[in-house]
Amino acid sequence: MHHAHRAHRANHVGRICGRLLTGALLVALALVLIVPLWWTLASALRPAGSLYEYANPLTWRTFFPSEVTLDNFVNIFTNLGFGRALANSFIVAFGAIAMGVVVSAMAGFALAKFVFPGKSVFFFIVLLTFMVPFEAIVIPLHLVVKRIGIVNTYWALILPAVGNGLGIFLFKQFFEELPTELLEAARVDGASWLSIFTRIVIPLSLPAVVTVVVMMFLFQWNSLFWPLVATYSSRYQVVQVAVASHVTAEEAHWANLFSSAIAASLPPMLLFLAVQKQYVRGISSTGFK
Amino acid sequence: MFRDSKAAFWFILPALVFLCLFKIWPIAVSLGESFMQTSISGRKFFVGLENYAYLLHDDPLFWGSVRVTLLYSLVINPLAVAVSLALALLLNRSKWYVGFFRTLCFLPSAISLSVVAVIWGVMLDPHFGLANSVLRMLGLQPQPFLTSSSQALWCLMAMSLWRSAGYWMMFFLAGLQGIPQEVYEAAEIDGAGGLTRMFRITLPLLARTMSFVLVSNTAFNFLTFAPVFILTRGGPMRSTNMLMYESYKSAFVNVDLGRATAISSMLLVMILITSVIELRLTRASFEY
Repeated sequence: MHHAHRAHRANHVGRICGRLLTGALLVALALVLIVPLWWTLASALRPAGSLYEYANPLTWRTFFPSEVTLDNFVNIFTNLGFGRALANSFIVAFGAIAMGVVVSAMAGFALAKFVFPGKSVFFFIVLLTFMVPFEAIVIPLHLVVKRIGIVNTYWALILPAVGNGLGIFLFKQFFEELPTELLEAARVDGASWLSIFTRIVIPLSLPAVVTVVVMMFLFQWNSLFWPLVATYSSRYQVVQVAVASHVTAEEAHWANLFSSAIAASLPPMLLFLAVQKQYVRGISSTGFK
Repeated sequence: MFRDSKAAFWFILPALVFLCLFKIWPIAVSLGESFMQTSISGRKFFVGLENYAYLLHDDPLFWGSVRVTLLYSLVINPLAVAVSLALALLLNRSKWYVGFFRTLCFLPSAISLSVVAVIWGVMLDPHFGLANSVLRMLGLQPQPFLTSSSQALWCLMAMSLWRSAGYWMMFFLAGLQGIPQEVYEAAEIDGAGGLTRMFRITLPLLARTMSFVLVSNTAFNFLTFAPVFILTRGGPMRSTNMLMYESYKSAFVNVDLGRATAISSMLLVMILITSVIELRLTRASFEY
């Protein structure tokens, strides 16, 4: 009796310790994640000349500017052409997404529902291209794009992203779940393949479309290496290149740096927050889960 | 399955054209160029395996980069898996705060690696950075961080971990939710404690997720470019001169395409070998 009571108490103490430990871990985690983001935002909202002043020593003012201003944002848009970079990134992202979703969905459909000669060769090419990461072929791709004659144009940024092995694979996985009988019935009714694809297959596959759209948007929006190599005039400068161009040690540039970092990160963050669940579900449905 | 080859052909045609033009052709060019050398007059001639032989035998710069890249990958890959798995285990419960924490962990991965590098670069500034202000407040010595050859690479690792751990956590969470609850209940009835359940049920059943995360991470980390380009340019004293950056310099600064493409081909081989080893390891150690 006495023994059981003591065991119960030990268990109770253990549980409280466990809870305290979990709580401490969560608080530490939150600090590590939030502080850099919050500090960036606070610094972007501070008057440009007073950035160093509050960085050291650490006070509450480091994180809460006594004077909040949008001047830094106004400055990067009016004087540094950040609007142009934002527009370029949107053009490049939407161009690639519009073409890429159609191309990948079509190929995924053929792989999921058709038997044709050379199917295994085509599937091998798809697998190969999504196993070889994009960064690894940036330098030879530059030679190819130069040969085609589209270097330093929007096309150089859009076209290489259109054929997307992972996108094709994702669509294939999703289309395999669609009932073949449904398509056969439509076929018997005399529907063309094009209308079956656009009227039945795509409307039934919106979750897959969302996943591929988000995947391609994040990839295009966040890429730095390829735009750096494929374009050199400021006309085609995309956001990531614009942000990277503000990296210098001078205080005057810190304000531009923080505000452009915030402006560049808002679109992907908002998109991420909006479709987070579907995106993760879609990616893990590729069978890697 | 339909046997309409003509329809299938039209459906795959656009993808085939784009994949061949912008993926297969560059891969072929990369291999081809790595067997070529360009003379001062711009003429190209075939040199066989000479670019590779030179890299392997007479290029200390290349070997320095291999060392840096391997060190970076050997530390960051297992660490990223461990941290993201730990986060997933910590957040795999139904409490009111869990949704908030999951989103918070996920948020940094929506920011591009280059913006993360920019933010961390300022935070780690030796004179005015937030990191040293915190150290001073705690009464510790300020550190040189990115300006020191013994610390820079570790700073890049921390940065990469900060950005990507929450992303990979999502895959582990999906994996954890795929484990049926009955398995745990049965184990509890059989008297299995928390640790036993962890090592006998959770980890073995997560083996597939684990290989996926490990292999994806490997490719990604071997090809690290943005943080090096933005923050350190390979320095100080080549301590962060990773292979991708060395290849970039070779192609665009020294205009030695043979060397640049030979390096990127070797990188692909390294990624391939490491991935195969990792697949073997994760499969073997979780057999039960």
